Amino acid sequence: MPATESTFWNPKTETLPKEHLRALQAIKLQKLVERAYHTSPFHRRLYDKAGVRPEHIKTLDDIRRLPFMTREDWMANQAEKPLFGDLVTRPQSDAIRYHLTSGTSGRQPLRVLDSRKDWSWIADMWCYGFWGFGIRPTDTVFFAFSYGSFIGFWGAHYCCEKMGCLTLASGNMTTEQRVKQIVEMGVTVVCATPTYALRMGQTAEKMGIDLKKDGKVRRVIVSGEPAGSIPAVKKMIEDMWGGKCGDTAGMTEIGTIMIFECDHQPGGPHIIEDHFIEEVLDPDSGNPVAYGQRGERVVTSFGRGFIPLIRYRTKDLVCKVPHTRCTCGRTGDIYEGGILGRVDDMKLIRGTNVYPRAVEAVVREHAEVEEFQIVITRVDSVQDEITVKVELKPDAGDCWPRLQAKLGKDLADAHEGLRFNVEQAKTGELPRFELKAKRLQDLRPQY
Amino acid sequence: MTTKTDLLGRPLSKDDLELLDLYARLKALSARHDLPPVATANCKQAMVMLWNACNDLALISEEPGCD
Repeated sequence: MPATESTFWNPKTETLPKEHLRALQAIKLQKLVERAYHTSPFHRRLYDKAGVRPEHIKTLDDIRRLPFMTREDWMANQAEKPLFGDLVTRPQSDAIRYHLTSGTSGRQPLRVLDSRKDWSWIADMWCYGFWGFGIRPTDTVFFAFSYGSFIGFWGAHYCCEKMGCLTLASGNMTTEQRVKQIVEMGVTVVCATPTYALRMGQTAEKMGIDLKKDGKVRRVIVSGEPAGSIPAVKKMIEDMWGGKCGDTAGMTEIGTIMIFECDHQPGGPHIIEDHFIEEVLDPDSGNPVAYGQRGERVVTSFGRGFIPLIRYRTKDLVCKVPHTRCTCGRTGDIYEGGILGRVDDMKLIRGTNVYPRAVEAVVREHAEVEEFQIVITRVDSVQDEITVKVELKPDAGDCWPRLQAKLGKDLADAHEGLRFNVEQAKTGELPRFELKAKRLQDLRPQY
Repeated sequence: MTTKTDLLGRPLSKDDLELLDLYARLKALSARHDLPPVATANCKQAMVMLWNACNDLALISEEPGCD
């Protein structure tokens, strides 16, 4: 059979009987723990403290003997041993890529490095997803993506080059220019956040372009926001573009995607189980939850050599259902409805992670600030906006124009360039708190 | 390569053996320090692509170390 007629990027492991898939995961886990123990001082300390050694990992169930890895521990390790901590297994000089994501507190971002092999693997995981959603070498793929330090669609771009697609980057373009090029080049696949896919659709309307008639887009692949798995949002995107909309999800800590929707779209994305172990646990007890119950994603990744990620608590809320829910033939289980929410208070704004306590850390660097509030809204049904309202101390004087500009810059710098609106509140306008402060208002519609 | 089975203990096919052989040869070239930059860099690029094929097909589970 010619390669392009295959339904699967990797027929051998995507359709492995479940017991074989589990056996493969067990073998990879043993090797991963062995490598991590001997090459990552962070992991060696973690495992020594827990009294577990690589030779204790004999079966897949033994994964539960391993301690969790948390973002907080990772960030503390980076702060203690800048820039990358001793979690990394190789010297910085061995890396070819550097990316970062906003931190959970303050200005310190989470920094990641990738080797040449890691970067190729990152693209390969996207290949599972793109091929699975029907993308082929004959497609022309457009990336509405800024190509900055945020990892975003970087791996997907290289995936398309690897697959042999005509791959269009649009880092420096305006929305109007993007719409124009999509039509002009006969683009068949568009990649964007769900929010931005809608925005491009609205812009096209304003330009007098009917994307369904004037364009050739047959697939819209979204990522970066939970909205990609919300049926109402998908329908809006499909109505605008005339092509099928499919969701993917990944994270900077992994470097790539771990789930993708296949062409059958059974109501959620498949897990790439030959490359990841995705546990779903009760966030409080840490015990596994049954199929069909909500819990926290805890991920183990087999692919990134620079940064071993083993039992990493993602704080994403998911609901796993068996692969038999889908008729495509893949044996990777499904996250029904995609990423359903968060266990913690992190917010996703235009694809960027925002932690309220990180915003507070930046705002509180300015002694003139008396009180503040973070307000998240959705403009024109598509554009997420984040505004920090600031109330000044009575004796702050006429510092506002300078403070407004400085805060806007500092907040953007701490969040991969994300634009924050900074507004002055009147004296006494913002609520005060005696106990647990609630300074964040998320006014976006809940689906 | 002396491996006779994949990670799951299945016999290797002729294609599997060819992929493993290519990967091993490229890895050996990538680890050398006496080749001109044009050879080393391009061998490494090719080697990591072969690593992907062999790794995805459950033929290997290793870090090449010379990427």
